[in-house]
Amino acid sequence: MRSPALCFLSARQLAVTSVLAVQAVSPQTRLRCSEMASLLQPDRVVYLVRGEKRIRAPLSQLYFCRYCSELRSLECVSHEVDSHYCPSCLENMPSAEAKLKKNRCANCFDCPCCMHTLSTRATNIPAPLPDDPTKTAMKKAYYLACGFCRWTSRDVGMADKSVASGGWQEPENPHTQRINKLIEYYQQLAHREKQDRDRKKLARRRQCMPLAFSEKYGLGTRLQRQRSGAPISGLSGLTLKEGEDQKEITIEPAQALDEVEPLPEDCYTRPISLPEVTTLRQRLLQPDFQPAGASQLHPRHKHLLMKRSLRCRKCEHNLSKPEFNPTSIKFKIQLVAVSYIPEVRIMSIPNLRTMKESQVLLTLTNPVENITHVTLSACEDEDPDDINSTAKVMVPSKELVLAGKDAAAEYDELAEPQDFQDDPDVVAFRKSNKIGFFIKVIPQKEEDGDVTVSFKIRHDFRNLAAPVKPSEEGPETPAEAIWLTHHVELSLGPLAL
Amino acid sequence: MADKQNAQKSVKIAAGAVVCVESEIRGDVTIGPRTVVHPKARIIAEAGPIVIGEGNLIEEQALIINGYPENITPKSEVEPKTMTIGMNNVFEVGCVSQALNIGDNNVIESKADVGRNVILTSGCIIGAFCQVNTCEVIPENTVIYGSGCMRRVQTERPQPQTLQLDFLMKILPNYHHLKKTVKAGHNAS
Repeated sequence: MRSPALCFLSARQLAVTSVLAVQAVSPQTRLRCSEMASLLQPDRVVYLVRGEKRIRAPLSQLYFCRYCSELRSLECVSHEVDSHYCPSCLENMPSAEAKLKKNRCANCFDCPCCMHTLSTRATNIPAPLPDDPTKTAMKKAYYLACGFCRWTSRDVGMADKSVASGGWQEPENPHTQRINKLIEYYQQLAHREKQDRDRKKLARRRQCMPLAFSEKYGLGTRLQRQRSGAPISGLSGLTLKEGEDQKEITIEPAQALDEVEPLPEDCYTRPISLPEVTTLRQRLLQPDFQPAGASQLHPRHKHLLMKRSLRCRKCEHNLSKPEFNPTSIKFKIQLVAVSYIPEVRIMSIPNLRTMKESQVLLTLTNPVENITHVTLSACEDEDPDDINSTAKVMVPSKELVLAGKDAAAEYDELAEPQDFQDDPDVVAFRKSNKIGFFIKVIPQKEEDGDVTVSFKIRHDFRNLAAPVKPSEEGPETPAEAIWLTHHVELSLGPLAL
Repeated sequence: MADKQNAQKSVKIAAGAVVCVESEIRGDVTIGPRTVVHPKARIIAEAGPIVIGEGNLIEEQALIINGYPENITPKSEVEPKTMTIGMNNVFEVGCVSQALNIGDNNVIESKADVGRNVILTSGCIIGAFCQVNTCEVIPENTVIYGSGCMRRVQTERPQPQTLQLDFLMKILPNYHHLKKTVKAGHNAS
């Protein structure tokens, strides 16, 4: 459920942070690379999202709605399909065409054995020339082959084709006609019910209600979804087009047969050839046929993937909108939390012992370009958010000041280092927009699990999205700063023995 | 006597084989014609001789080792077992093969690990990074693939890499010195 661009961003930050961290830390606290890497795992530090559900997620997986000034997780935003594309040929497909082709690519195939993408290979076979049957010339014949499990289309008896692409057909489902008839019948039924409902409701409601409002098997519109609160049902896409003939379609009910095909006589005595039996996964990927034997596994067209955009449910603003081009991983709108909220990371953990105070080194990174002031506070005794912590924590009481992120700072040699009066007991080091600070942890319980601490982090946020109201003070008024508080939980690992 | 023992422990490379100098070949190894041994390949015959057939392709960092089981040199003299490798096999980059009997037309893909008690017949393909250390005979035309070492049987054996072998036999001498071919039965020069 992670967007790939976010993972890319956080991996780059990891690489940069770990390099900087090794340079800045004194030799006494230098750790081995593998221990360092496990402290940077994303689920060590989680932020609490106060939405419909309380969700704890690492900052790299969260979004920040700067109109509501709140953190949002994947579960409190609405997901919308932007575009469909094939993951192997990266071809874009309009949604209507995708629906027609059952969300499958026209050119690419999946191996029925290992689900890898099939590639087309060519061989030269001698074939008689059309003009002169006695002479033979080398003609190219194409077959599908899997590079991973070495499955070829010849294994199931599919003949080699003479064209490189477009010659491969999927086998027909024997029940297609019956299914199509049933779908038509239900489409008509839904249309009739919708008309009945609209006739009743139109009398009471205003005219500007969209006609799609009361579709029973219709595509989930935003209004429909917000009302029911449930995800789009499986029968979406069965809407009848407006103005279709109101033909009466009748269907015969399915008939139960008395006679069943008898089992073969050697069913119990024949030895099973295991390579010939298909696995459940291979079988269920072809729900039309569900072949039991590997020699009936035909390749299927590759499933399309989709690009989705996310929208805040409260204010209806887009939080994430990818670019239309399938080859581009960039976003048109990317309101991710890591670019607005200061990020806490664990840098080093000493040996933790029950009821003994230890100092843990954390880092705080400022993602925005202006100076940020951060205040940490321990959770109150009766805090309803504080359910997981197993240790008492003492955070620095003074306000921490973080310098702004300056992309050109590493190239600018003449810049004077800004002088923040840092208390050496609290701030371990400072490097451009990052500081390292100590917290004191006293594990309370003697247990097998991880020691978890939580605290509140309060920082100022300048909302550059909101329109700046003209005031009498002059043309240059800085944006108003609002204070945001987040609940952060850290997992510090097991107690030392 | 000493000469004969020395002769037995030398490397015998048939004419037509292309063996790069940077490869490490130790012990009593016989390499057939049309076999290509890339630089940095290692063929080590510790616990017995190795006989490699024709048309094999042994790529970089492949390790073919006839070693003592579990690296323990037995204190008493154990009968040396010959490792036989057939024709048209491919040992891809970084694989480790300790199987005593390898047939024809097998492919051991990159970083695969084949144990000592495995017997590969013909047409077997051991997929990349698969570790096969069971004690069994792998039937013909078996493909072992995937992280769970899934198996399936393919209908035709993998094609011999004749094109690749021809290309390498032309190109490798342009960039690497080759080990001198020595006929079996002569002393190493």
